[in-house]
Amino acid sequence: MSGEDRFVLCMLAPAFAILGLLVAYPVGLLVFDSFFKVDTITPHIREWVGLKNYIDALTSKRVAESALRTIQYSVFALFFEFAFGFCAALLFSALPGRSRWHRTVFTLPLMVPPIVAGLLWRFLLVGNIGILNYGLVHLGIITDPDAIAWLSDEDIVIYSVSFADIWLTTSFVALVSYAGLTNIPKDLLEAARIDGANAFNRFWHVTLPLMRPVIAVIVIVRAVDAAKTFDLIWIQTQGGPNHASEVFSMNIYQRMVRFGDLGEASASAALFLIVMMLLAAAAYWKIWRPAHA
Amino acid sequence: MRRARRFNINGILVNAAALVLVLSYALPYVYLLMTSIKPAADVQQIPPSFLPAVVSLENFREVLQSSALPKAFASSLTVAVLTTVLSLAVAVPAAYVATQYRRRITTLFLLFALVTRMVPSVSLGVPLFQLLKSLGLLDTIPGLVLAHTSAAVPLALLLMSAFFEGVPKELEEAARMDGCTRFQAFRKIVLPVMIGGIAVTALFTFITSWNEFLYALLLTSEATKTAPIVIAEYNSVYGLAWGAMTAAAVLYSLPVIVVTLALQKQIVGGLTFGAVKG
Repeated sequence: MSGEDRFVLCMLAPAFAILGLLVAYPVGLLVFDSFFKVDTITPHIREWVGLKNYIDALTSKRVAESALRTIQYSVFALFFEFAFGFCAALLFSALPGRSRWHRTVFTLPLMVPPIVAGLLWRFLLVGNIGILNYGLVHLGIITDPDAIAWLSDEDIVIYSVSFADIWLTTSFVALVSYAGLTNIPKDLLEAARIDGANAFNRFWHVTLPLMRPVIAVIVIVRAVDAAKTFDLIWIQTQGGPNHASEVFSMNIYQRMVRFGDLGEASASAALFLIVMMLLAAAAYWKIWRPAHA
Repeated sequence: MRRARRFNINGILVNAAALVLVLSYALPYVYLLMTSIKPAADVQQIPPSFLPAVVSLENFREVLQSSALPKAFASSLTVAVLTTVLSLAVAVPAAYVATQYRRRITTLFLLFALVTRMVPSVSLGVPLFQLLKSLGLLDTIPGLVLAHTSAAVPLALLLMSAFFEGVPKELEEAARMDGCTRFQAFRKIVLPVMIGGIAVTALFTFITSWNEFLYALLLTSEATKTAPIVIAEYNSVYGLAWGAMTAAAVLYSLPVIVVTLALQKQIVGGLTFGAVKG
């Protein structure tokens, strides 16, 4: 081994050790536990059950519903974050040189801890004292402040709890998009203008294709984070009413903590991990790798 | 002349739209601030008012005089500082060799870090609970630091390698010519140059740990409860204590907001950088 190789290994070793102990080993433990019937309280008493936990998870109605809700939540949140954030970035870049304080104020939600964002939105939406409905009455959109029960209506709660997520991360989308927009060469847009392209055509045929990699990064990073969400929803509804806002991560938490079913919780957590790994692999091949090639 | 005028009207429209957008995003947090300085009795008045009729620090007094919140702040701060120190200590050297000495093992290593970023915390939380339980570290500061470090190291690795990519290899080579060993070159020449990037990474790691909720919920009970857990409890254990809750939420979020606004330029750079690279 050359001195250079030894140096590389020495520098990598502590991080390897930490990630091995705190990520790889627990993941191994997770997979191991998923094949046993085992309680959280008495983890040393275990009974081999093979794939039973996986079969139970895949055939459980409540698990399937929570998985579907995770998708509903992520798609809804992602759509609005992206729409608002991208429009904000376009607006900011249309303010030549003067968008600095706009961007500064706009980054504010990004600094707010998710738990505070969740509580704040619960406070804005809660029946009776939620100021949002009073605002809607003032604007003439609804007539009665009790008209929309954001957090207690089972049909809409999974969308209502995503408002906090949208509020919290639109600025992230806006900042990353803004950085992407400022990297588009001005002369390309100028050339299109000289060729007679109007504002919409310039956006559609020049800006959008050049922004494709940035958009892909935003969508993947945000989709993965939204799918992992726990705290924001937990603090607003704890998964209720009647499990109507119980997403996948919350379902796993409930089965482990409330029902103490470590084996089944592990099997679901392993399934969750596999899906997210596949997303990560897609992200790596589609985006990260080409940038380094 | 006509052109200039047209541009002005467009400019005003764009400005107005940007203003409306920015204000509507700032408004919820401003409402939180306003609520926290209302007398506790006014917080849940019907219909709600945006501005306080009387300014009162009652809510702040209540949360600071309770023993739960100051203690939780101390836990949060200790855990976040230790997590930051531990994560940077292992991530900075690794990110350095991963970007400056590219080979298969370092590429695989960065890929591993990228993949761990995608791991749902609940998936890691389930076995971490068991691991810490068997080590007797449940509800202890070291246990929580280890859990937070599992999430902080991949983040620090990706951010630091984005920063190290901008460092020319010649820097180290020049130091080697002057007789430094590889490690001396790293410690005496490269690290001082990177202090800005390290500071941004440290701040991000700190904020991530400060904001973390799920691990604290799973791995702590009474002894080491962190701030977000106590704040969340204002809403269940003590009934609907919205006044105290808003004051606690302001106290908990304001330091991070102030520091971030002060270091705005570096933070936003780091954030977009980290996101695009990671």
